[in-house]
Amino acid sequence: MRVPVNWLRDYVPLEMPLDDLATRLSISSAEVEGIERRGVPDRDGNLGRFLVGRVVEAVKHPNADRLQLCRVDVGDEEPLQIVCGAWNFGPGATVAVALPGAVLPGGLELERRKVRGELSNGMILAEDEVELGPDHTGIMVLDDSWEPGTPLVDVLPIVDDVLHVEATGNRPDLLSVYGLAREVAAIYDLELAPPPGVEPTLGVLESEPVDVEIEDPVGCPRYIGRLFRDVQIGPSALWLKARLVAAGMRPISNVVDATNYAMLALGNPLHAFDFATLRGGRIVVRRARPGEKLRTLDGVVRDLTPDDLMIADAERSVALAGIMGGEETEIDDSTTEVLLEAANFEPFTIFRSSERLRLRTEGSNRWEKGVDPYLAQQAATLATQLIVELAGARWVGHTDVHGELPERPVIGYRPEQADRLIGVETPADDQHELLGRLGFDVDDGRVVTPTWRARDVTREVDVIEEVARFRLEDVPFTLPERSAMFGSLTRGQQLRRRVEDALVGLGFVETYTPSLLPDEETPWKLEEPISVELTALRTRLLPSLVEAARRNAEVGERGIALFEIARVYLQGDELPDERLHVAGIMEGGFGAVKGVVETLHAALKAELEVERAEDPLLHPGKAAWTPAGVFGELHPGVLEGTWSAFELDLEELFQRSREPVIYEDVITYPAVKQDLAFAVDDDVPAGELVAAAREAAGPELYDIVPFDVYHGEQVGPGRKSIAFRVEFRSPDRTLTDEEAAGLRQKIVDALRERFGAELRA
Amino acid sequence: LDAETYRHDAVAAVEGAENATELDEARVRYLGRKSELKQALREVRDRETGMALNAAREAIEEALTKRQAVLERAELDRALTEDIVDVTLPGDELPLGSLHPITQVRRIVEDAFLGLGYEVRDDREVETVEYNFDKLAFAPTHPSRSHRDTFFFDDTHVLRTETSPSQIHALEEREPPIYMVSLGRVYRRDAITATRYPIFHQFEGLAVDRGLTLADLKGTLLHVMRALYGPERRVRFRTHFFPFTEPSIEPDVSCGICGGKGCRTCKWSGWIEMGGAGMVDPRVFENVGVDPEDWTGFAFGCGLERAAQLRHDIPDIRVLWEGDLRALRQF
Repeated sequence: MRVPVNWLRDYVPLEMPLDDLATRLSISSAEVEGIERRGVPDRDGNLGRFLVGRVVEAVKHPNADRLQLCRVDVGDEEPLQIVCGAWNFGPGATVAVALPGAVLPGGLELERRKVRGELSNGMILAEDEVELGPDHTGIMVLDDSWEPGTPLVDVLPIVDDVLHVEATGNRPDLLSVYGLAREVAAIYDLELAPPPGVEPTLGVLESEPVDVEIEDPVGCPRYIGRLFRDVQIGPSALWLKARLVAAGMRPISNVVDATNYAMLALGNPLHAFDFATLRGGRIVVRRARPGEKLRTLDGVVRDLTPDDLMIADAERSVALAGIMGGEETEIDDSTTEVLLEAANFEPFTIFRSSERLRLRTEGSNRWEKGVDPYLAQQAATLATQLIVELAGARWVGHTDVHGELPERPVIGYRPEQADRLIGVETPADDQHELLGRLGFDVDDGRVVTPTWRARDVTREVDVIEEVARFRLEDVPFTLPERSAMFGSLTRGQQLRRRVEDALVGLGFVETYTPSLLPDEETPWKLEEPISVELTALRTRLLPSLVEAARRNAEVGERGIALFEIARVYLQGDELPDERLHVAGIMEGGFGAVKGVVETLHAALKAELEVERAEDPLLHPGKAAWTPAGVFGELHPGVLEGTWSAFELDLEELFQRSREPVIYEDVITYPAVKQDLAFAVDDDVPAGELVAAAREAAGPELYDIVPFDVYHGEQVGPGRKSIAFRVEFRSPDRTLTDEEAAGLRQKIVDALRERFGAELRA
Repeated sequence: LDAETYRHDAVAAVEGAENATELDEARVRYLGRKSELKQALREVRDRETGMALNAAREAIEEALTKRQAVLERAELDRALTEDIVDVTLPGDELPLGSLHPITQVRRIVEDAFLGLGYEVRDDREVETVEYNFDKLAFAPTHPSRSHRDTFFFDDTHVLRTETSPSQIHALEEREPPIYMVSLGRVYRRDAITATRYPIFHQFEGLAVDRGLTLADLKGTLLHVMRALYGPERRVRFRTHFFPFTEPSIEPDVSCGICGGKGCRTCKWSGWIEMGGAGMVDPRVFENVGVDPEDWTGFAFGCGLERAAQLRHDIPDIRVLWEGDLRALRQF
């Protein structure tokens, strides 16, 4: 909320520097996100060049039909000649004048200059020129009681500071200038003025009946209706417009501005109806009827449901309660009778409609947070005063319909409990004094919450917060006294770091890509995505990495190798099955990625099992499956050039890890190492030969690794030779040559039998 | 032959040899087959003479070996002084990747909390409304429940909006005391800009024990902020509101760019917002069956993107999500 400081001063004396005020409010009440200086620049005596003037003479400019040539008394001996383009004034008018040398809010510096041949010594000001309002149809005409030469800053808020205050959701009372003033008074222990608004006397001897019926007392606990006649709609007084503009609202007309002013001052949103348009002259607060529609003030036709709380007349809905008025009952220039609504609406009812209709307004924003139902009375009073004073209206009728209004919460309170939770001592007397300044009544171990905090402060811990927020800077820095410690990573967390570090060591750069994809075959699709790119939860990481690689290639990067560790979201039951994957993409062919996958397994002390596989992203002849996932060369249709990629499930990978490794004695009894080469048919995978050899030779075959594949004349067409490095060993003795030869023979026999393999060496 | 004179002359010749050729000449002359010594040895008849001659031979051989080592070493030194590389040229290109800046700050945070005796966890990202809002005591009208602010899959399933559901999971899984930090992705319905991304990372801490205070929270956050940003940083609290903490605060860390004097980075306040925190609301304890009269706790949540941006002075959050190697290779 934008809080003009000049307005705030109406309710609390501000003598502290604004920076200090902003800091202390931020720490104890609501964050001040900035202080905006607005209006006329206040430097180099600039304010002294803005004065009250009285028009002594005003005639048509001799050389221009649209201009007036004026002589204006600004308190000096000689009146100043000023050329003016406005015609809404004449001799005798009291006006605002900027002298030559004056700098306007936009930075424009006025000069003494000739306009169509006549000297102009400055400018007669319109409200928009000093940021007091939006109007530029005429100049500002001031009250005649001001003497010429009076500094304009004494008359109009031509310079102001605006605090940008971000109140938290539990403090709707701070969405008002008066509410903030109350907080300032409590922080600095200052005297707070009574709330604004003095009830005018009724304009008739006896109040006319105002016909208000509440059908839904839960949605609308209170409705004050007030009737006005002889209303003269017109622009608001300058001071009021200036405050609305400074607070960020657009002035509309005196009656509408009066309701907005009362809302900003006190925090209770109000509405004004053109009474003549209300059929049957009555107000009914009810739920919308099925199929009912309403054209709201923004011109949109709203389809309503029985969940929506409506303000209706005898026949139809005329406003979305608490959110926005209807177009047909809007105040306009011809309005002469006004029905003022100062009501109270239940938060969830408003939230639900605002949410369904995607319509957030100043009103709904306050109602959703819970407005004090006692506040409606004061808001009605302030708005009534303004409508009577500013629109010349007669107040003729009043009604206040409500059931039992909520009692103020009474809370058992132990000041020492605050000390225990805050960790710093605050004497009980100080706590009580502070709570008193915030409007709490304190007596005998009990605290009674003020009405404007009744939703937020209902428990002892809530009262403790009230004390704590004024002690935050005194809270010391301590650490918990511990009876239990948990400071270690799980095995999975340790191995995840190892995977990350191994990949970095292999040259991969880690990247993060979004969890959402444009589309995916998954039931986990967002109801309302913010863009087509981020629509469905991904079931694998590789498509995102392919895109990242493509973008890098497009900007000319070389040696691209990217990896990511993130979740994928498989179908699951009530919730998706979220699994942590590691995926990588790199330049290079199948051998490159297989080396990476092997090294990753080696780093984790995990066995790698591999079979041929199919995958839409991978080359059909160069794709492999392992229990943890897939890897292979990218399908050339996916990305130009030779690329390869892998995607593995970390949990599967970690399950296969032998960490912590169990030590084997391979030193006491030496191994027998041999190379064996076999000729086999081309289509026999090396992995099957290895598996068969292990099966045949048993555990004394310690290791067998293919190290060379040869095609050529010596093995003949359709055949290949594969060479293996073989290591035999026993854990409890040195193998004899005969034993080694026996093991070797078992392998040779098994491979010949199963694959027709011939031993070549 | 006088063995002593012979030895003396021979050793002098060996030690005077300036290179391998001269040394070889000395060897041939004094120990060669035709040398006086060898001839004398062949003619030796008595034991005494033989011993004297052999002693001379051994002494000469020793001198030769020593001199040879000296000359070889000198030769090697000379050869090495000529074998020069340009040490300023780049070495062989070896592969080295890099960890993403978010992973780097993630590890710093994890390690800081491990040091404080916390366990590290992560929980599911797709949550039920019950865990994301209800059990954390969000009011029915809290704006985060709006479909405008939160990604919904249907009426009861959302992408978690903060890591706070981890508090509930931790509290349901075990009895207090609990000290845990949870790190992972969270989601909000924000448009992508330089300062916001709809997907981001948080770390969430929860401590539940007997007698914990706001002061313990302050000390804990100071430790973690200093681990992330350096030992000179200061921490302050501002009041705030969260449904699941009471009192609630927002921690600020003093700005590292200006040291707290005020600059563009800290919007001239000297302080930078770090997230949200507070004492666990008794309602949360009641929702998971923990007695709030017996236990107190504190909780906090901070963004990892923000931490990475502050540590590395990254002005645009999108840099962290675009996978551009020109950016990522720097870290």
